[in-house]
Amino acid sequence: MVACKDWHDVPAGPASWMRVTAIERGQYPHPFVAFMAGACYHCAQPVCLKACPVQAISKREEDGIVLVDRGLCLGRDQCDKCLKACPYKAPQFGAEKNPRMQKCDFCLDRWAEEKLPICVAGCPMRALDAGPLEEMEAKHGKTRHAVGFKYHERIAPAVLFKPKPENMPLPI
Amino acid sequence: MSDGKGFRHKGEKIVNTVCASHCGGACLMKVHVRDGVITRIETDDGREPQLRGCLRGRAYRQRVYAPDRLLYPLKRVGPRGEGKFERISWDEALDRTAGELRRVRDTYGPASIMLAQMTGDVCTLNNFGSLERLLGLFGGFTSPWGITSFHAGVYASLVSYGTYFCSNTRDDLVNSKLIIMWGWNPADAVNGTNTCWYLARAKEAGARIVCVDPRFTDSAATFSNQWIPIRPGTDTAMLLAMAFVMIQGKLQNQAFLDRYTVGFDRFRDHVLGHDDGVPKTPEWAAAITGVPAATIVHLAQDYAMVKPAALMTGIAPGRTGNGEQYHRAAIALAAMTGNVGVHGGDAGARAWESIMGGFPYPMNPMVSCIERVPNPVEKGYARKPGPFSYREPRVHFSKLADAILKGKAGGYHSDFKAMVIAQCNYLVQFPNSNKIAQALRSLEFVVVEEQFMTPTARFADIILPVATYLERNDVTYGVGSAYIGAVNRAIEPRGESRAPWRIAADLARRMDVQGYLTKSEEEMLEDRAMANGVYASRRVRKTGVSRLNMLIPYVAFRKQIEDPARNPFPTPSGKIEIYSQQWADLGIPGLTPVPQYLEGRDGPGDPLAKKYPLPLITSHLKRRALSQFENVPWLRELQPHTVMISTEDARVRGIRDGDMVRVFNDRGTIDIQARVTERIMPGVVDVPHGAWYSPDSRGVDRAGCANVLTSEEHSPGGSFTYNSGLVEVARAG
Repeated sequence: MVACKDWHDVPAGPASWMRVTAIERGQYPHPFVAFMAGACYHCAQPVCLKACPVQAISKREEDGIVLVDRGLCLGRDQCDKCLKACPYKAPQFGAEKNPRMQKCDFCLDRWAEEKLPICVAGCPMRALDAGPLEEMEAKHGKTRHAVGFKYHERIAPAVLFKPKPENMPLPI
Repeated sequence: MSDGKGFRHKGEKIVNTVCASHCGGACLMKVHVRDGVITRIETDDGREPQLRGCLRGRAYRQRVYAPDRLLYPLKRVGPRGEGKFERISWDEALDRTAGELRRVRDTYGPASIMLAQMTGDVCTLNNFGSLERLLGLFGGFTSPWGITSFHAGVYASLVSYGTYFCSNTRDDLVNSKLIIMWGWNPADAVNGTNTCWYLARAKEAGARIVCVDPRFTDSAATFSNQWIPIRPGTDTAMLLAMAFVMIQGKLQNQAFLDRYTVGFDRFRDHVLGHDDGVPKTPEWAAAITGVPAATIVHLAQDYAMVKPAALMTGIAPGRTGNGEQYHRAAIALAAMTGNVGVHGGDAGARAWESIMGGFPYPMNPMVSCIERVPNPVEKGYARKPGPFSYREPRVHFSKLADAILKGKAGGYHSDFKAMVIAQCNYLVQFPNSNKIAQALRSLEFVVVEEQFMTPTARFADIILPVATYLERNDVTYGVGSAYIGAVNRAIEPRGESRAPWRIAADLARRMDVQGYLTKSEEEMLEDRAMANGVYASRRVRKTGVSRLNMLIPYVAFRKQIEDPARNPFPTPSGKIEIYSQQWADLGIPGLTPVPQYLEGRDGPGDPLAKKYPLPLITSHLKRRALSQFENVPWLRELQPHTVMISTEDARVRGIRDGDMVRVFNDRGTIDIQARVTERIMPGVVDVPHGAWYSPDSRGVDRAGCANVLTSEEHSPGGSFTYNSGLVEVARAG
């Protein structure tokens, strides 16, 4: 999260292109905790794109990266249709007046130089990866479910998981 | 995709350096600089094992350019502690500091000057050598004793193994079949770059991982197959019961014990209760620890039979009233299971290695680029007896405030009139903050070297602004891994901030100290690199890191185990001392010759528990490194500073998640947000340390500084005890 904010110069505040949340379930002495990292899943059928009334959101032909043109965006005071449409909370808005939508751009500048996104390059656990979906499927499998995540067929988010088993053996 | 060069924007240069923050790691940083300004920071993208930085290092740009960075020398203009300052020139600041120190020395004697210095950044040039040399040449000073983080672990290692170099490198975790993480949470406290990464690899390779901890930490959540919650301060009881299970089942590695250890028989007698009539059964331990007897039996059997197994003992349980016993008991178990000196095992001494152990380079912060001189105040005094001693007269670091307030009348060797504070947020990171504030108010002169207006800096008469490690050159080292890091200046020091070694040199001239420095910065760094076998230092400075190429992981005591005749342990007996004649000879109550469970203050039997029923622990917070980074917005927003309290304890007190609550005992009161959670053992509360003490007019600390609540009493061997305490929690207001 911090590497992302540093790379993209996003100030502390409500906008976080990358979000890591802790999912906490269960009861003492058998708690279950998993961490979910989510940015923008650059969906095959991006609902934000369809929802945007001014075509500020586009999906690149060549690689499927979903981008927002902040110059075109009406700002949240006028419109928050993308935010309402996205089940993954990818559209982000800063603390400024009538903030324009911003979100993960797959580190387009790095991608253009054949560099992995800063979150992938930065994760101390090497828990993230990024690339063309088929390549990722070949490398990591096709699991699209994880605790704290719901896969929507109609949107087809381009994401795979190596999920944490939900029922950990916890003999005490 | 990794070419090791990083991504470069037009007009930018990239400076490779190593993060020297005191977070527990030492990671590669690629600092992008345009026109003398840092624009962004990348981390290692070269060959594995990469040294990838954590959130703290990644946020460092905001630390360098923080609006509250101290950029100019300041002098106090209001009452001490009020925090009103005025900008002055370096000349005035240095003259005033030199003049006051001279006045205090000449009026009250050099012992009346106290030096409170820590390791703000983990460096070898800008560390405590400079001021110790300066004040030593100036006529002397009173030096504190006591290692803040792991005194108990170091002492136990020295007594048992004769050295504190007791750890394997972290990559060896991958060879373990069973890893017991005892009070050890590297997910927050790092404890070596890549420690968590190796734990994940060990888990992938099939290791079973057990966490013994009052909290279901992020480490427990990520790595453990089993979480065993335990009452704080009772770890030794559980370890002794595990020994009992092994002895009863004849599971101990007797051949190992016969060959490599002394005194197991006496330990066995104590465990079986032959000396005190109390067999240390799992049932006995269950009543003390809150861990079910069956759980203790299973863990003991696993540890005895699954080979190799690494008992990774965190240093947190050692920061308690009898912390030495915990470390000594863990070492005894490591020996009983024959896990010393083998791949995938661990000597059980101390999972925090680096600074004084487990590290093949002969480097630790006791070694400074700037050579220390004998302290004239200590001249003529003998060293205290024992294997881990210091020359008197010194004051334990946790008792400095008491010494200041009482002086000679309280039995101390001097009255104390001035304090030099450097790389140290003394008011926040040492026990009993309210008492420290009172002590600081009573001094005649306080000078603080700092980067920010910390609670400690607010009590200064003179503040000297310090450059961050991105603004200076130095040498640092890996933590639990074999590498040396070059700290390279990425930008010029901001404002008028200066490197600590230079501040000391500037002071030396004003204090008429001769012979302070004989070498240039470059020469000092070269010499240090050479002393550690890094010859191509120019190349190291360019790449940032010099790694020792090791084909296999480093294993502590391998030689002693493989060829004991030629490689005795450096103890008096030449063996691992489960029974310590040195401690028997010392005769200090609490330092028993074989490990024993001694109920400390703040245990369940403490009469104070009636008034303050909740044992306190003071953990690390992921977004801080001790008290550093507390003011960095990118980090603050990640994690609120809260007291962890169990659902049950919150319910009976009418506390809901997110409520502001008051945590208090006889030493003080803090206001803090409650985090009601299933992730802590009922009956225990956790206030992470490092919040910046900020008392209101009634003396209630509104920042939630844990050390308002902790005790300045140290353990019999000298361990700080601020990971313990008894408190009560109530809704605020």
